[in-house]
Amino acid sequence: MASRPSLKPKPKGKGGRKGPQAAGEEQSTAAAAARFVKEWTTWTMKTTKVAVHYGFIPLIIVIGMNSDPKPTLAQLLTPV
Amino acid sequence: MAPPPYGAGLAGILPPKPDGEEKKEEKVDYLNLPCPLPFEEIQREALMSLKPELFEGLRFDFTKGLNQKFSLSHSVFMGSLEVPSQSTETIKVPTAHYEFGANFLDPKLMLVGRVMTDGRLNARVKCDLTDNLTLKINAQLTHEPHYSQGMFNFDYKGTDYRAQFQIGNNAFYGANYIQSVTPNLSMGTEIFWLGHQRKSGIGFASRYNTDKMVGTLQVASTGIIALSYVQKVSEKVSLASDFMYNQMSREVTSSFGYDYMLRQCRLRGKIDSNGVVAAFLEERLNMGVNFLLSAEIDHSKKNYKFGFGMTVGE
Repeated sequence: MASRPSLKPKPKGKGGRKGPQAAGEEQSTAAAAARFVKEWTTWTMKTTKVAVHYGFIPLIIVIGMNSDPKPTLAQLLTPV
Repeated sequence: MAPPPYGAGLAGILPPKPDGEEKKEEKVDYLNLPCPLPFEEIQREALMSLKPELFEGLRFDFTKGLNQKFSLSHSVFMGSLEVPSQSTETIKVPTAHYEFGANFLDPKLMLVGRVMTDGRLNARVKCDLTDNLTLKINAQLTHEPHYSQGMFNFDYKGTDYRAQFQIGNNAFYGANYIQSVTPNLSMGTEIFWLGHQRKSGIGFASRYNTDKMVGTLQVASTGIIALSYVQKVSEKVSLASDFMYNQMSREVTSSFGYDYMLRQCRLRGKIDSNGVVAAFLEERLNMGVNFLLSAEIDHSKKNYKFGFGMTVGE
């Protein structure tokens, strides 16, 4: 007789899958945590880069305008 | 009119005081050696004389000081920039840009920022954290992703040594150390590691200088050997020569140049073993106004670069 598709291997498969699945869950939480940290550091690096890109020159101007002797705004804006 | 110190007669009888003898009599105190130059500056004199900032086109720099410490700068450039290419043909790209900059210079903190019309920011920070420890940050930020670069340097200055640790983007880590061995000789090593390309290298450098000459040697595991020699012929004239051998590409380059520092101008010229002749003139027209002329002629590659410019302000 042609072999019928039997249900017998399935329980074996289910039982077999339970073991690696539990270990897989632990691994996935650790992996998820690592991924979260990596994404968060990437996000901070990108934001710092944008902040520095737009804010560095204004920061120098603010520090310079507050140093002694204080220059005036007119001195900052005139070309000569 | 004040009388001469010894009286007119004695000045002719007393022998002139020998200057050289005082220095010869000093015994070398090996526990009290001077601090050496930083590792990246050991070839400073040779680089200043042999590698002026040659350009092609028009350059205009205006620096306006608002304060002792704070100044703004405006810089215009119209001309061609050379793009490094693999083939023997040089590729020139005509560009024009305006660059705005702000500088804040304090003994303890130095902030220099330059921004161009296309949004590129060039930032340099130097901060003295303590008397001996300095933090330097150097960054070039662009709007295009993945083209920005940054480098953090921590410098420690000891009594007769200097140590530096560098962290850069693309996981670049480097460290170098330089030590004074005698009052005239200093030797140092450096090591670096590039994370993304898994490359590392180690190098060795030494510098010997007296009042009249400076000689340096640099050897690196990347296959580069560089030697340089600068002789100060007089207060106003110095001659420099440099030799570089690249083992990877089997290239040898040697150049010889002069540097005339006169009252009204500074003229630097050099000739290369590739047949390139270059000259750079900075002429002081007035207080704070400098006129620049730059020329570089390469007959073999048919590359002729002439530039002129002006610098106003300190």
